[in-house]
Amino acid sequence: MHLDPFELHRPSSLEEALRLATAHAGGFDYLAGGTDLLPNYKMHLNLRPHLIALDAVAELRGRGLERLGAMERLADLERDTELARAYPGFADALAEVATPLVRASGTLGGNLLVETRCFFFNQSHFWRESLGYCLKAEGDRCHVVPQKERCYATFSGDLAPVLMALDAEAELAGPGGRRRVPLGAIYDAAGDGIRRHRLGPGEIVVAVHLPAAARARASAYLKLRVRPSFDFPELGAAAAAELDGGRVRSLAVAVGGLETYPRRFDELTAPLVGEHLSDDRLRAFSEAVMRAVRPVHNTFLAPDYRRKMTRVYVRRAVEKVRERSGAAA
Amino acid sequence: MGSALPPDGFTLLGGRIPYIEGPLKVTGRAEYTDDLQRPGMLVGRLLRSPWAHARIRSIDVSAARSLPGVYAVLTGERYPTPFGVLPITHDETAIAVGKVRYIGDILAAVAAQDEPTAERAIALIRVEVEPLAEHTDPKVGVTPVTDPIHDRGLNGSNVQKEVAQHFGDVDAAFARAAQTVRVRGSFAGVTHAFTEPMATIAEATPDGRLTVWSATQVPHYLHRALSEVLGLPMHRIRVIKPEVGGGFGGKSDPLPHEIACAALALETGRPVKVLFDREDVFLTNHGRHPTQNDLRVAADADGRLLAYDLSAVIDGGAWSSFGTVTTYYNGVLAMGPYRVPNFRYHGRRVYTNRPPSGAMRAHGGTNVRYTVEVALDELAEKVGIDPFELRRRNALPPHSTTVNQFRITSTSFLACLDAVRAASGWDAAFRQLPYGEGIGLGCGFYISGSNSPIHFTPKMPQSTVHLKVDMDGGIAVHSMQADIGQGSNTLLAAIVAEVVGVALERVHVIRVDSDVSPIDLGSYSSRVTFMMGNAARRAAEDLRTRLVRGASELLGYPPEQIRVGRERFEVAHRPDVSVTYLEALHRAMERTGALTAAGAYSSPPMGGSFKGARAGTAPAYSFAAYVARVRVDAETGEYRVGKMWAAFDCGRPLNRLAVEGQIEGSIHMGLGQLMGETLNYRGARLMNPSLLDYKIPMPAQMPEVECLLVGEDDPEGPFGAKEAGEGPLVATLPAVANALYDAVGVRFTDLPITPEKVVKGIELRQREGRPWKGE
Repeated sequence: MHLDPFELHRPSSLEEALRLATAHAGGFDYLAGGTDLLPNYKMHLNLRPHLIALDAVAELRGRGLERLGAMERLADLERDTELARAYPGFADALAEVATPLVRASGTLGGNLLVETRCFFFNQSHFWRESLGYCLKAEGDRCHVVPQKERCYATFSGDLAPVLMALDAEAELAGPGGRRRVPLGAIYDAAGDGIRRHRLGPGEIVVAVHLPAAARARASAYLKLRVRPSFDFPELGAAAAAELDGGRVRSLAVAVGGLETYPRRFDELTAPLVGEHLSDDRLRAFSEAVMRAVRPVHNTFLAPDYRRKMTRVYVRRAVEKVRERSGAAA
Repeated sequence: MGSALPPDGFTLLGGRIPYIEGPLKVTGRAEYTDDLQRPGMLVGRLLRSPWAHARIRSIDVSAARSLPGVYAVLTGERYPTPFGVLPITHDETAIAVGKVRYIGDILAAVAAQDEPTAERAIALIRVEVEPLAEHTDPKVGVTPVTDPIHDRGLNGSNVQKEVAQHFGDVDAAFARAAQTVRVRGSFAGVTHAFTEPMATIAEATPDGRLTVWSATQVPHYLHRALSEVLGLPMHRIRVIKPEVGGGFGGKSDPLPHEIACAALALETGRPVKVLFDREDVFLTNHGRHPTQNDLRVAADADGRLLAYDLSAVIDGGAWSSFGTVTTYYNGVLAMGPYRVPNFRYHGRRVYTNRPPSGAMRAHGGTNVRYTVEVALDELAEKVGIDPFELRRRNALPPHSTTVNQFRITSTSFLACLDAVRAASGWDAAFRQLPYGEGIGLGCGFYISGSNSPIHFTPKMPQSTVHLKVDMDGGIAVHSMQADIGQGSNTLLAAIVAEVVGVALERVHVIRVDSDVSPIDLGSYSSRVTFMMGNAARRAAEDLRTRLVRGASELLGYPPEQIRVGRERFEVAHRPDVSVTYLEALHRAMERTGALTAAGAYSSPPMGGSFKGARAGTAPAYSFAAYVARVRVDAETGEYRVGKMWAAFDCGRPLNRLAVEGQIEGSIHMGLGQLMGETLNYRGARLMNPSLLDYKIPMPAQMPEVECLLVGEDDPEGPFGAKEAGEGPLVATLPAVANALYDAVGVRFTDLPITPEKVVKGIELRQREGRPWKGE
């Protein structure tokens, strides 16, 4: 298995990167850590003739409690004790991404925009050809849920759920200018699932911003997978809350690894605000999250098990938040 | 850690001997096949079938052939002679002839100047086929089917091999049984997942010879297959085995790509390399057979075994490979470590349109061992005795014969039981740990070398070792034994050094090369230590005799009064009178020049005279008793094995470091099959041909392992040794399964035991109103 040739560009500023993106519109990928993109390229998945490497763009670096540059390496974020103290759930999630070796290259932005995954997509060219390809690459039908409209590949990043639960915002820069949106808004919940995000052509995630309120919250992230390292999430459950003597001041819960995009459950957490976070309420809430998710059979563990575990993992994530807040059940 | 010095007056054997090739491997200097370069070498590539089962109508290679940079394109009819590792089941061809039988079957082979050109050529080959009925369920394949996969299937079915054996009277035993248990074990296919993907280089030279370098466990069988298929006499073919990065049975068949690579070399006159990627490895498979076992056990009121009644349906995939052996082994390897007076077995191995199954570490013994040991755990509970006591009551005694006429010589099985019971704190833990925690016992038994060489004609020793020493004093050791990482080179050197009394560094194990290495049948069936070890010992003793004669002449004492010291030869009753090793050597060389010596091993005749009686006969057997501790999250079904105590009888361990490594590696591999490894098929399609989706346990999942080596010297093993390469695997799986039962009260008989199955099992037990351990 070899990489087909491509032209590598290495801009040293955001402006230059965006210029290259405009020049090669439709024919390039941004290259961050490469730990996801390059294996996919080896499998001949959606190859582009140009790669625009972002590692020399200084504006994409830097980390503090309020701003995390998108090109920060996961291993550097993981080693940052100040970050871990402020956002324990973020630290949970960082430690669960792939392996130490992958985290040494992998970046924050790369994990947020990691390609969605599916048994029928993450395969060699020979394998996919033998099945007539799929909706997400070179084909026109989905083999998971047989139809021709929507792709069901699974969102497999670990960092998005917890950052969404912390009300993080994404700072974006594109040929058309800059904008800042809630992190969850970069994912296309209403789309066809083939594209994993709603960024405009050439648009780059520059940084993630965390509001002051995030630092008042305790947080946690729990990940279901077959092996305790290496594996992508079969389910990731994140919770963040500010508790006042066991009473909910704010609560946010988000999951990944279940559907095409990471998802936050504000409609289910809203009724809990102001309430005492009792075990009974927590059980009912976790049950409701379970009922809301629709995993499909395109990862290792069966979808009904992943759904069932959603209830357990969400409950445990919130319990951990409660523990970290020092609040009683 | 053992003591620093080996016991019983040995200087090396019995101690901890680091692998002699270790420094080369850890510095990246060891040469594997892919590290080798030949001038003008071409890239070989294979076109694989995207169809599971189809008749080939036409293959148009004209566009591929005319692509600049392409040197050859071959299809099956060029070398259509069938081959296979067993002479009785030659059903493979180097490249498909007439039909393809699984997704991944080889349709054509290309040699080109570089990888991109080879891939472009592959893409230009046009194949037309007529699809045939796909067969993926071996249970259906036992009956006559439309479009059977091979024309050799029994009565128009896909049955490749059927075994029916009956010893004693099983029905009568069940009629008088006080207790019976039944276990239906279901085992998904697993594969070896060795580190080094297969690689082969072949080169045909103008002197009419063909040289093949290949990552193989069985250079001799490859040598034979190349000769048969390519139509060249064996003496014109030279097979070289570079370093091999693991095999576990996956490199123990001569494989189609090896022959196709050689064919490309003959066709082009240029060296050709075929290097596999991981998907190629998965599609080549030859891993452990998916198996359905149905075992009934009869016992008396005290738990003494009366009979086993076993049937099995085994998924062979597209080829026979070792399947005839597998079909026998899956029955007869139930015949230890217990005395079973009556035994009936009906086994069927069925072709399916999937990558072939074959031999994998503890071949044929793993799934049936699991079935037996889980059944015995259940039996102990029914009888109301401790699982250890049940095993003690039924242990095969030393120097006994099983009902199917296996010759049992040494066994320290009882010592294994006692050692592991004490070390694991069993008596204070069994059924006494809190709900969710468990402890379990699993035992094992495995052949120490197959008594039957695969080829019977001409009749020759199973292992031969040659030594050559010149005046520099270095001892060159030649043998075709195949070190694939298990440490056989180190053992070979250590045996020679020990017997001759020289430093290990004087002994040079020469790379396997059929031009110079005398035949040893290779690394399979845990035969190397036992067979090569005996051959090496005899060769070294032969050499020592010549050296002693030289010393005797120099010292003026008769040879029988000379004894071997460290790099010296001394007069036994006057150690101050001695000559150095080199002095003795040079004296011995005066008449003949460089000394040569040889040793060989043939196993003694054994086994019954009924059909299939040879299967499972071995010159010795290893024994094992393992205890596992587990902790289960009863809500999610996730579990972790915290510790394994591994009591093992390999006779005298000759290299403790290697034996412990084999035990730890076996436990890792066994846990993989138990916890999550599975060749995940949808129909004929393998869904997880990568090391990301094929779930080998991570280091973080490894339990602490405590090795307890309790064997006594085997009467026929070299220095008393028996095998330690495969037997250490089989006890792992049932030990954990029985610990899971102790933890949550559920018998798991469907492997792998994934967390979802644990949750379902607990829920089912709860629905049936059977609370467990105060849950």
